[in-house]
Amino acid sequence: MQTRNLVYTLTAIAVALIVVIGGLSLLVLSGGDDDDGGAANPDDTGEEGPDLGDRIEGELRLFGADPQTMDPACATDAGSAEYIVEIFSGLVSFDKDLNVIPDIAADWVVSDDGTVYTFNLRTNVLFHDNSRRVSAEDFKYSMQRALSPDTQSTVGDVYLDDIVGAEEYSIGEADEVTGIKVVNADTLELTIKEPSEVFLEKLTYPTAYVVDQREVGDATCFEANWTLTPNGTGPFKLTDWDLGTSITLEPNEGFYLEPKPTLSKVTYVLSGGSAFTMYENDELDITGVGINNIESVRDPSNPLNAEYHQGDSLNVFYIGFNVNEPPFDDPDVRRALSMAVDKEFLANEFLEQLVVPAAGIIPPGMPGYNDDLAGLEFNPGAAADLLDETGKADDVDGARILTSGQGAAPSDILQALAAMWEENLGVTIEIEQEDFGLFLSDINEGNFTMFSLGWIADYPDPQNFLDIKLHSESSNNESGYASDEVDALLEQARSEPDEASRIDLYQQAEQIIVDDAPWIPLYHGRSSYLVKPEVVGFETPPFVIPNLRYVSIDR
Amino acid sequence: MPAGLAGYILRRLLTVPLILIVVSFIAFALGRLAPSDYVEIQAGTRAQPETIARIREERGLNDPIYEQYVRYVGDFVTGDFGTSAKYRLPVEDVLLPRLWITLQINIVVVILSWMIAIPAGVWAALRRGTWLDPLTIGLLLLPASVPVLVSTPLLQYLLVVKLGLLPSGGWSDAEYFGVELGIFSKRAVLPVLIMTLPAVAGIARYMRGQVLEVLDQDYVRTARAKGLPGTAVVTRHVVRNALLPIVTLFGFELAALTGGSIIVESLLGIPGVGQYAFEAIGSRDYDGIMAVVILGSTMFVLAMLVVDVTYGFIDPRIRLGEGLSE
Repeated sequence: MQTRNLVYTLTAIAVALIVVIGGLSLLVLSGGDDDDGGAANPDDTGEEGPDLGDRIEGELRLFGADPQTMDPACATDAGSAEYIVEIFSGLVSFDKDLNVIPDIAADWVVSDDGTVYTFNLRTNVLFHDNSRRVSAEDFKYSMQRALSPDTQSTVGDVYLDDIVGAEEYSIGEADEVTGIKVVNADTLELTIKEPSEVFLEKLTYPTAYVVDQREVGDATCFEANWTLTPNGTGPFKLTDWDLGTSITLEPNEGFYLEPKPTLSKVTYVLSGGSAFTMYENDELDITGVGINNIESVRDPSNPLNAEYHQGDSLNVFYIGFNVNEPPFDDPDVRRALSMAVDKEFLANEFLEQLVVPAAGIIPPGMPGYNDDLAGLEFNPGAAADLLDETGKADDVDGARILTSGQGAAPSDILQALAAMWEENLGVTIEIEQEDFGLFLSDINEGNFTMFSLGWIADYPDPQNFLDIKLHSESSNNESGYASDEVDALLEQARSEPDEASRIDLYQQAEQIIVDDAPWIPLYHGRSSYLVKPEVVGFETPPFVIPNLRYVSIDR
Repeated sequence: MPAGLAGYILRRLLTVPLILIVVSFIAFALGRLAPSDYVEIQAGTRAQPETIARIREERGLNDPIYEQYVRYVGDFVTGDFGTSAKYRLPVEDVLLPRLWITLQINIVVVILSWMIAIPAGVWAALRRGTWLDPLTIGLLLLPASVPVLVSTPLLQYLLVVKLGLLPSGGWSDAEYFGVELGIFSKRAVLPVLIMTLPAVAGIARYMRGQVLEVLDQDYVRTARAKGLPGTAVVTRHVVRNALLPIVTLFGFELAALTGGSIIVESLLGIPGVGQYAFEAIGSRDYDGIMAVVILGSTMFVLAMLVVDVTYGFIDPRIRLGEGLSE
């Protein structure tokens, strides 16, 4: 009796499997028909790939996500800036070779003392609705709006703080920013507090972009209704933003720079699972390649291999120490930990060359990158000896490294690091994962002994890495590193007009920082991506710049 | 409608706001007690701490929780559901399109799963003691035993990558009859499939149990004895009576209509309520979380009310306490 029941059950399961799989295929095939108006039969659905009926000539399809904001005054992240730089524009921007070029400004004059910038605006720049020219008044309004406390932007004061009177205005102590002066409709004068070699580069950031006052009015960063139909000035117009589904751009026919945009349409697909799968399915023209797919893509026998590209990316990922608290207030302890890390293995084997090992802080591809920098070499024997000499191995043991994450398992990279320290130094470093918000507040308040973080360039200048992350008075200096020598070099570099001498100052500062080891620079990420052969002129820039106007589709 | 019934419904409706106040306060407090807030998260690492502090103050995030709650409720009853901090847009603008998508999926899933489950349950019960009974139930239990976290990528790999039959995920904004009805697009097949398969087994097994119970009742034996044909006994006597307790189950389904599946929607990138709920928690989108919670609990309370009232109509023996007072 019992055996009979068992036979029944097993038969039942076997038949179940067959029926479920059969049923699935049936459901799928019948479901496949109704999308193409019944024209397609199940046989050719497979070949053509789905949803191709509505392809538009000259359309570029990209993978995207809803940006945190489409409002230039409020953008704090690269994900938002990526859209904003195509839809809006400012006085200056970066070209493909990362030179600052005139954008809405036709040209500019800098006073002899380096503090007054007079911009002559182009006279042929219209807002997307073609209703009106952009004037100097629009710039004054837009920049003041980004700075105004009523707008509640967290970055207005970060990127525009060089301008005279910006600080007073941003905390509500002035009625206007005195350093922004409208000379006439076509001339804008900006006065900065002291000469700065990076002022123009800061103006390429969205906070200095122009928006249409009639449309934006006094909207705060949290009243973004207008950004669903923004009246910008950039190379592309936002024609549709279906939250969570898609963002559609169309070329601005009246764009004032060469080359003008030639794509007929840019569609960012916001919904959908894996971008890589969608690319394989011909639903996307470009996709990034991650660690899961990199091996198969690098295989020369894979047809995708011909579509694989890799480029520099201006960033650095690092481990930071709290240099004001034991045991990491001792530079030798920090150096010992640094020398125990095999970055070559980490970058080349573990991360499959998706990244390059970092000797210093400035990434390759950025002006000031120092190929000859003497990093702290991987030397487990010397590292262990050094830690022994300090006599602080016991204090290091059990230290926690703070990281942001929600997964069940902490990042593989940190686990690999912990294993290296365990093996080479005999110390156990624990990994503590925190929710992103909590992580940020702990980092800002100094509640950590070690942390892992990355930094991506806002503009291609060593100042953006060294001065902002490691000057003793910078609010972004999480590790609390303070060196008079480094501060002096960084301050001198701020206004050094000679480019070569300026780079030299930064390289000196970088070498001191690397020797002092407030950070363990781990690696510089690179961008790895697939591009369909018909896409012409696309390069992923090393950081966010308006680059879609260089792209075309040749089919 | 009998006067007693109207009174009953009214009394039940009056408890709705009470339940909502309790639920919403708990959700509100839990949200704000979580470390950090949306201003801090959105500011990232670049902003000045003083600027963040000033904006938090201006946005009232430093006020005591009960004060913030009272303000929230005050706005809510006047029709201001707040701002989605993630999208910086009014919550209803963000939630309504998502609600529409989730509704489309859930309605189709409910219809499909009941259409399969009820006949399957009856079929299995009538074949008790033969191998067809365990076969049917085993067949249905199989997909129900696989967590969606596993079945989603599995089916995605099979149907999308290997066979190329379907798009990999996402949602279509295709219009039919002038309305956005993505459910008619090929993109809807995968989520509907993934959510329907595991839903069938529970209902089918419940139905099977009910039918078996009814089959043993005297009136069924009587019906058979007086010579009614087998199909008539089943449709007229067995199924109708067995369906009764199933109504409760249907109530739960009704309540869940507006709640999207967090896992399926997130994995397949479908911009529905479930995906938003997940995003909203991560980005401390307080008003967004509140809207999802209030929507969910309102639906639940109302669905339970509908179930109770329907019961009275279907089964005259349960007349909502009327018999007691008269």
